[in-house]
Amino acid sequence: MACDGSGPVGTSPITRRVRRTALIGAAVATVVVATAPFQLDIYTKNVLIRAFFLAALAMTVDVLWGYTGILTFGQSAFFGIGAYACALVATHYGFGPFWFAGSFLIALLAAVAVAWLIGWLAFYHGASPLYASIVTLALPIVFVQLIFAGGRFTGSSSGISSFPSYYWSFETWFWIAGGYLIAVTVLGYLLVKSDFGRVLVAIRENEERCAYLGVPVSRVKILLMMAAGAIGAGAGFGYAAFTNVVAPELGGFLLGTELLIFTALGGRGTLIGPVLGTIGIDVTASYLSGSLPFLWKLITGVAFVVVIVLLPQGLIPILGQGLRRLWPWRRPALASEVALHSFAPTTPHGETPSAPLRTEGLRRHYGSLKVLDGIAIESRGSELLSIVGPNGAGKTTLMRCVSDGGERSSGQVFVNGTEIGRGTPQSVVALGIGRSFQNTNLFETLTVADCLMLARWRIDGASLFARRSEIALPRPAVGILEATGLDQALATETRNLSHGQKRGLELAMVLATEPSVLLLDEPTAGLTKAERTAIGDVLITLAREHGLSILLIEHDLDFVRDISDRIVVLHQGALLMEGTVDEVIASELVKAVYSGQTVEPAP
Amino acid sequence: MANLALDMITTSAILFIVASGLMIILGVMKLINFAHGAFLTVGGYAAYLTTEAGLSPWLAPLLAVAAGFGAGIIVERIIVRPLYHRPLDAILATWGLGIIIGQLITLGFGREVQFAASPMTGTLDLGGVEYSAYRLTLTAFAIAIGAALTALLYLTRFGLNARAVIMNETLARGVGIDSARVRSLTFGLGAGLACGAGALITPLLSVDPNMGLPWLVNSFMLVLVSGVSIPSLAVASLILGSAQVAVSTYVSPIIGGLTIVVLAAVLLRLYPKGLGRGM
Repeated sequence: MACDGSGPVGTSPITRRVRRTALIGAAVATVVVATAPFQLDIYTKNVLIRAFFLAALAMTVDVLWGYTGILTFGQSAFFGIGAYACALVATHYGFGPFWFAGSFLIALLAAVAVAWLIGWLAFYHGASPLYASIVTLALPIVFVQLIFAGGRFTGSSSGISSFPSYYWSFETWFWIAGGYLIAVTVLGYLLVKSDFGRVLVAIRENEERCAYLGVPVSRVKILLMMAAGAIGAGAGFGYAAFTNVVAPELGGFLLGTELLIFTALGGRGTLIGPVLGTIGIDVTASYLSGSLPFLWKLITGVAFVVVIVLLPQGLIPILGQGLRRLWPWRRPALASEVALHSFAPTTPHGETPSAPLRTEGLRRHYGSLKVLDGIAIESRGSELLSIVGPNGAGKTTLMRCVSDGGERSSGQVFVNGTEIGRGTPQSVVALGIGRSFQNTNLFETLTVADCLMLARWRIDGASLFARRSEIALPRPAVGILEATGLDQALATETRNLSHGQKRGLELAMVLATEPSVLLLDEPTAGLTKAERTAIGDVLITLAREHGLSILLIEHDLDFVRDISDRIVVLHQGALLMEGTVDEVIASELVKAVYSGQTVEPAP
Repeated sequence: MANLALDMITTSAILFIVASGLMIILGVMKLINFAHGAFLTVGGYAAYLTTEAGLSPWLAPLLAVAAGFGAGIIVERIIVRPLYHRPLDAILATWGLGIIIGQLITLGFGREVQFAASPMTGTLDLGGVEYSAYRLTLTAFAIAIGAALTALLYLTRFGLNARAVIMNETLARGVGIDSARVRSLTFGLGAGLACGAGALITPLLSVDPNMGLPWLVNSFMLVLVSGVSIPSLAVASLILGSAQVAVSTYVSPIIGGLTIVVLAAVLLRLYPKGLGRGM
């Protein structure tokens, strides 16, 4: 599979298939939208225009929630912003082609600005997913209260009606709304099926791990929020221009939760499900709410609870599976057509004057509990430095403090001569740190190839609307993939890998980020003797031939003795001893620590 | 001035009463009960029914607590238990439950606003300041609820089990605590408290099928700001409740309605773990 040099660059087979599907879908939808107005009565057209705009909004909810894992209650606020931009400009300033276009621009800009503010608030590094939900919950409430507070200018609770707009025919509005929905859905579809879409899923499944691979998680989420806000505002603008009525409820919390209901019932993370779900539910609601107003809402509530509890994937996918059963047809697995290339890594500057990793007076305490107390260590290039010590010595905390600027209580950490400051993990990764984790916390539904692509994001980027057909990795990473058989399993989802393969992928992903300092937390835990030896050989090669500085946490002292150049012993948060393998092995102090005697750390 | 201070204290007390049920459930079960608002509404209608039946309004909170406890146990079994490992889905499912409860109430009682009798009327003289007797009584209720919950958690076997589940559920199960039972009782207790709170606040307001919604949002914010601890819920209620009264008085009642939500979002940005930690 792996070959040297880079292959021909072009559109990958997956990209071609995705684009073909999008094209066919868009063509069918366009035909339906173009001809439907001639078959439908006014009432149905009216209802469908509203449903189309709402469906465009629900599509953004699905990208945010279904794909990226941001549970948002506030997408309705952007709809409201768009609607009010249309109404306010037409009411108070003027109407005409320029005013109309200008107010559309204002709607988009206002939505993008608000989305940026929301994203900046909600998506700081280390924020809990719940906090984002809180902020998005606050947003529509603030919006509605501001409209109330606007008095006569905003029309307060009764809204604004009969402002000048284009009184085009129902057919025209039907085509505008349908066209808008088709356009943004195609855009969304291409996005979620692209490399970037895989990054979104990776963020949903394991945000922290993404940050440690150098993915700027906060920035990605903020940009996504801004794009979703703009699409939502566009839909709201269209709705207001069509109906000539705006009311605070258009941006309210209840509509925000209804969007979640549409998305959940349609099938989160399927994009087309929420779009069809919204249209289906909103149209049915319009017909039934006349005859059975309360009963219909009750039925929706029951369906929503049942779907959340019993069918989290939603109704449209189940429908799809049913159709698949009637009309069996299998897609060829295309992910395996991703080609792996290897290239010789640039040797990290062996002669640079600064140490790859150096700490000074590194401290970490939780209240009065000192987990790390003034650690000063220095690693060298082409060296395997093992950090050993009994449980609770502070080894993993040390790893955390040198790879995330927000972790340490005091002290300094230098990576290739640069102080990491209070930088996020991705900024530390950019300085040359690569960190693997103690537990094999990979991305469940991503394939091996997706994971490798993700690890290359910082260097190669990820295409917004295409899938790559080849991944170029530094040779040592490819070596590990070959040693663990992963090069033959690129299309396998990571949850189906064996433990040894997960370890191998973990290491390959870290190496794919081309670090100059490698932090490995128990890379051989749970591995067989043969796998341990293989990993040990790779590590030695990385240090000797590629000049990496490797810091290794290990409990397996035989393994440590076999491969280390130097050993640091931690005990109760302090540096107990530092020396060559022989010095440490021979040390009475270290034996005492491991046999559980109380010892004073060396001064 | 004295009136403003009393407004602040009594508003905070009401917020504390309303939020306590949500906090108990969050603390023990690590999930946010978005049906909290609907349970408040159920309490409101319990008060309305008590009035309609000609019973003493003092009975209303007791009946509401009993109804809420029973309903909570059933709901926990059917809807909440399958979602322990999907906390964000639990928010959505309980929100859906809230819709169901709200629509059932609408079907039963209609959408119009109803009123319930107040157990006490008139004012009390506090050294020259006349103030609503019922609001002052609610403050006493808030203190009593805080004390009772503290006693329940620290002086009873259930409280010991609940605290064990809060701190480390796996370990608690390992030493033989039936954590499913603790969760079930907790949800019943939380729902009971919510219904009781709904009955208590109803005499100050009116009853309608959506009366719980604004309270849900405010309680949600309060509980997240306070973290799981009874004293810090009291502190958070005082801070946010006083801020709301101050803004409503000096700026505008409409902006006042925003105070808790906005202030909570800012406070949580500054103190992501909330004001208190652990119970």
